[in-house]
Amino acid sequence: MFFHIVLERNMQLHPRYFGRNLRDNLVSKLMKDVEGTCSGKHGFVVAITGIENVGKGLIRDGTGFVTFPVKYQCVVFRPFKGEILEAVVTMVNKMGFFAEAGPVQIFVSNHLISDDMEFQSGDMPNYTTFDGSIKIQKDSEVRLKIIGTRVDATEIFCIGTIKDDFLGVINDPTA
Amino acid sequence: MEKNGKGFSMPKSSLKSTPSKDDSSQKSKEGRKVQFNNGGSPEERFDYSKSNGKSSSSADKGGRGSTANGKASKSKEKEPLELRLNQELLKNAKCLMDCEAAEIIQGIQDQMTLLSQDATIKLPVSFHKGLQYSQANARYTNTHSVRRVLDTLKKHGVVEGEISVIANACPESTEEVFALVPSLKSKKSILQEPLEVALMVIKPLRKVDSTSV
Repeated sequence: MFFHIVLERNMQLHPRYFGRNLRDNLVSKLMKDVEGTCSGKHGFVVAITGIENVGKGLIRDGTGFVTFPVKYQCVVFRPFKGEILEAVVTMVNKMGFFAEAGPVQIFVSNHLISDDMEFQSGDMPNYTTFDGSIKIQKDSEVRLKIIGTRVDATEIFCIGTIKDDFLGVINDPTA
Repeated sequence: MEKNGKGFSMPKSSLKSTPSKDDSSQKSKEGRKVQFNNGGSPEERFDYSKSNGKSSSSADKGGRGSTANGKASKSKEKEPLELRLNQELLKNAKCLMDCEAAEIIQGIQDQMTLLSQDATIKLPVSFHKGLQYSQANARYTNTHSVRRVLDTLKKHGVVEGEISVIANACPESTEEVFALVPSLKSKKSILQEPLEVALMVIKPLRKVDSTSV
């Protein structure tokens, strides 16, 4: 889910950016460095909403770079175990299906799909109930529950399930 | 655990680690608890937290801990929402409903089109995906009213994360709420009535979605 949070970061600025536009340059560099990144604690930084405080700069010994501690507000997206999300299916295979919720990828294994759904291969692989009434294929919207998360350097990857109550397909693109 | 000559050991609970049958006795009290790595170090771990000791039957499941890979959901425990356990982690963070996030992110995008003098500032892919996702899930016509109504549940012990999950799920009934947020089940008797009232109030505030099945 989304959070609005205050984070702090030490920004290093080259002397060429000093002058009248020092603050603007600092903010631009912050946005370039931070937006789109992902961390284990806070998840994806989706957007910076404002700068709370820029501290006093400290000149680093041996170089002309100056380090500024910057406090900024931002919107982050971080999935939690147990959270209910609505995701869009991006790929279906016999092991399960991949879905996307915002910047996060979620995999739902076939073990975590209802037992009454079967994989159907073909041009448009899908999972379908025996009576054909419910289908999960690419671009379907599903409500799922996150049961595990993993973070690497640049993205968050989750495992989900649709096997619980009130989970499953919301919207079938072929309907 | 594998160790090379220099004493480097693989992260204990990485997704691809060997089954921890030998560790199950040590871990039986905790299950396969692995915390989110706070420092964001490279040793990010797969989070199969077993409710930080709240599970009374974790000792029983210790022997089956090694088979938990990919099958954690088969546990019949009512695991509380992890958000409740990580309140300290995010105590300075405000949980946003998807509709609130959509408004904020849309506002930023509108500003960016005005401030696009610096051609090197490009909005990252995660921004667009976040915007798209939040707009798709922004289901209410009046986010402030929904926030006000659902915040009344706080006095019954519902935390912000649970409120956000309830708002985002647009539940039709209290049964749905308790099914989707199992951590509220322990307070079912207290929450039943206020939750019914809250759902009744926010139902008219939903956007009409003609594409839903």
